[in-house]
Amino acid sequence: MFLDLHCHSVSSDDSRATVEQYVKWVQVLRKRGYVVDGIVLTEHRKFDFDKDYSALADQYGVLILKGSELDTRYGHFLVYGVSEGLTRDIDFSDVRMDARELMRAARQHDAVAIPAHPGRFGIGLTEYIQQGESFPGVDVVELLNGGGRAGENERADELCQQFGYLGIGGSDAHLTSHIATCMTEFRAAIANESQLVDALLSKQFQPVRLEATAGVPSA
Amino acid sequence: MPYFEDIELGDQIGPVERIATDEGVARFCDVWSPPTPNRFTDAQTARESGMTGPIVPGIMAMAMMAQLLTDWAGPDAIRDLDVVFRQPIPHNRPLTLEATITDLRQENGQNLAECDILMLGAQGERHVGGKAVVSLPSRG
Repeated sequence: MFLDLHCHSVSSDDSRATVEQYVKWVQVLRKRGYVVDGIVLTEHRKFDFDKDYSALADQYGVLILKGSELDTRYGHFLVYGVSEGLTRDIDFSDVRMDARELMRAARQHDAVAIPAHPGRFGIGLTEYIQQGESFPGVDVVELLNGGGRAGENERADELCQQFGYLGIGGSDAHLTSHIATCMTEFRAAIANESQLVDALLSKQFQPVRLEATAGVPSA
Repeated sequence: MPYFEDIELGDQIGPVERIATDEGVARFCDVWSPPTPNRFTDAQTARESGMTGPIVPGIMAMAMMAQLLTDWAGPDAIRDLDVVFRQPIPHNRPLTLEATITDLRQENGQNLAECDILMLGAQGERHVGGKAVVSLPSRG
């Protein structure tokens, strides 16, 4: 199945798209022949425990899961499988947190933390590795990011080649029409955040661009 | 000018290319009259603000984006323009302006088209992004 693992709704301060607008746009993409099975909302520096999108998900037939995108001193990290326990141990608003500590805490709480847009100029993981930092907890990075400038995904690809990282894909959408431009294809069927974490740990996935889903049977 | 009935979700407005030249920014600032010296027209002030050079005023960028919409739908078409400034906009570089229709609805007797709107740099970098709502005439 195809999931967009990185997008922001108006719950993030820099997005102008509502969740309903995203799932409506997914219908437009489906009419054009593309396959989009679900999205994961990764709001900046927060996790929306109080938000329930199940009615929208049912109405539009789009899986809607929740995660977070956290700022760290080593760039942004996508966190999947967020629990109240993790938010007690990690201050999601701390933009100077050590990403290595975040990754450790995430695993302790059955979550995973993955570097977002590692090839991004200035703030991507690539920059910090070039400065001599090491990240032994990383084995997956966001290889395809739909929000970057030219060359950034290529830098992420070089990073994957160099260190043997696997890659996920996400649109990094902040606007309606950008949803699902990049996604991750999973072999497993996923219906909730826990299954998403299991699927990421299984390493049975690959990043894809929307165009690659044309004509593919839906999950 | 487009009619509401002729527009479909996903339709594009633009892209059009614009360049905010030194002279264009200076003329805009002459009208706008921000305090001087400022980071829009003065290189030293811009550097002291952490910029590599003078930048395009945000309100001028919004005006350029608004013009994309008014050139398409008419001078009084805009009902809302809500943007986020993501990166400073340099002078004298190609800027691409484009919009994508994301919703069509009739509301309070108006035919409204909502769109995503972007100002991109030459490398695809998103300087400004947001959404807009324009009112369109009906064939009826």
